[in-house]
Amino acid sequence: MKDLAVIETILRNRYHFFGEIRDGIDLQNKMRAMLVSSIAFLALYGAVMGSTHSLWQALSSAVKLPILFLATLIVCSPTLYFFNVLFGSNQSLTQNVALILTAITVTAVLLLSFSPIVLFFLLTTSHYQFFKLLNVAVFAVAGSMGVVFLSQGMRMVSMAGGRDGHEGARARAWVLRLWVLIYGFVGSQVAWTLRPFIGAPSMKFELFRQLGGNFYANVLVSLAEILGFAVVK
Amino acid sequence: MKSISERPDRPPPEAPLAAESPAAEQVLDFLLDALEQRRVARQDRERSVGEQWEEDLEPAEAISTGGPAREQEEPPAPSSLATTTSQEEDLDNGVREPPPQLINVNLTRMLGRLLLVVAALVVLVNIPINRHGTPLARIMPDSAALVIRDGLVLKAQGPEIYVLQDDKLRWISSLEAFEYFGYTWPQVRQVDEAFLDKFEIGRPIHVLLKCRGNPHIYALEDGRKRWIKDIATFETEGFVWEDVKTVDCLYLDGLPDGIPIPSDAGSPP
Repeated sequence: MKDLAVIETILRNRYHFFGEIRDGIDLQNKMRAMLVSSIAFLALYGAVMGSTHSLWQALSSAVKLPILFLATLIVCSPTLYFFNVLFGSNQSLTQNVALILTAITVTAVLLLSFSPIVLFFLLTTSHYQFFKLLNVAVFAVAGSMGVVFLSQGMRMVSMAGGRDGHEGARARAWVLRLWVLIYGFVGSQVAWTLRPFIGAPSMKFELFRQLGGNFYANVLVSLAEILGFAVVK
Repeated sequence: MKSISERPDRPPPEAPLAAESPAAEQVLDFLLDALEQRRVARQDRERSVGEQWEEDLEPAEAISTGGPAREQEEPPAPSSLATTTSQEEDLDNGVREPPPQLINVNLTRMLGRLLLVVAALVVLVNIPINRHGTPLARIMPDSAALVIRDGLVLKAQGPEIYVLQDDKLRWISSLEAFEYFGYTWPQVRQVDEAFLDKFEIGRPIHVLLKCRGNPHIYALEDGRKRWIKDIATFETEGFVWEDVKTVDCLYLDGLPDGIPIPSDAGSPP
C-alpha cells in the first residue's frame, strides 16, 4: 500500500513529482514504488485479458504483460538517454528511466481503471476479435496518456541546469517525439513476440505462439473481419 | 525596435573588432548589458509565472533582443515579435513553476481497493461453476476465434481439410481439389476436433476430371479417380459442369481407380 502512494503523487501533483525527479530527490525509492505498482497493475490487467481463454492463459498473461513493458523500457531507455545527452540534456540515465517508469506507471494505473470495463465485456460478449480490438483500444488510450506524462516530465526535468537546460530543447523535443514512435514500434513488436495475451478460444493454451505476421497487420485484419471484409487467417 | 546591427556606430562587418577599439568596447559593453538584462528579466519572469500556471503566458517583452527600457517605449516590429514568440516557446518549458500542491484525496486507498476488487473478480470469474468445469469467464457459448462464415478453411489434428459452406463442413478430397478451388495453405485454420464437431458434415469437394476424346468423368479423391456412372448420378451427387477439369489422357489413365460413384456401378470403363 505504501508503494501505491506514489500513484497519487504522480496523478495529482505531477509537477512536484517531476520537480523531484529533476532534482534527483529520492529517485531510488520512487523508481521502486513505481516498479512495484506497475507490475501489480499490469499483472492484474494481464490476468483479466487471459481469463477469456483459460486459467493458464490468465497466469501467463499476468506474467507476460509486466515483462512486455519492462522489456520495452530496457530496450528503449538508452536511445532516449544518449540522444538527449547529444542534444544538451543534463539528465542522468536514472532520471530518464524514472521518467519512463512514470509513463509506464500512468499507463498501468489507467489499464487497471479500464479492467472493470474489460471484465464486463469479457462476461457479456464472446467475440474474440472484438475483445482483441477492445484491448488494443484500451492500450492505445492508456499508452497515449503515459506518453503525455512522459512528455511533460521531460520538459520539466530538462529545466535543470538553467540556461544550459534550454540548449537544444527544441531538438530534444523532436527526439522525444521520434523516440515515442520507436517506443511504440518496439513495444508492439515485443507484444507480438510474447503473444498470446488473450488466446484464441478455439486453440489450446500455448505460452508463446510461433512467429510470423506482425501486430499491425493482425489488428487490421481483425478489424476487417469484424466489419465483414475478411476472414482472419 | 532597433537591433544592434542597425546602430549607426556599428563598425563595418568586414572590419575586425580590435579589443582596444573604443567602438568595439562600446558594442561589447552593450552586449553584456543586454545579456544581463535578459538574465534578470528571465528570473523575474520565473518568479511571476508560477502564480498563473496553466494560463497563457504574457508576451515576453523582457526577453526580446533589445534593452527593456527601450522596448517599453516602442512596440516590437513584426519580425522581432516573431523572434520573441519563438524564444518564448523555447523558454516556455523552462520558466514554468509547479502549481500549488493539491491536497490528498485518499486516492491511494481507493486504488488499493480497486486492486483488491479486480483481483477478487479475476479469481471469481476463473472458478469453475458448472459440472463441466467451465468458469464464468468462458461460459459464454461459441467464443471461437473465428468468424463463422462460408469459405472458412479448417483443419483439426488429422490430415483432412474442410471448407465451411452453409454451416456444413465439406471435406476437400484431394490436394488437386484444394489447389483447383484456389485455396492456399495460409488460409487453413488449425482448430480442435471439438470445434469441428459442432458442424454437420456436408458433401465432399472433389475435382472432376475428364480427358479429350473420352466421355467419362471421374471424381479425384485421395489420389484415385472415381468413375461417375452417368449424368443422372452426376447431377444427383450435386456435381456441376463448371468443376470438370480437362486433363491429359495419359495422366488420367495413370491414376489408380477408386470406388465408382455410386459404389454399385460396376467396374469402371
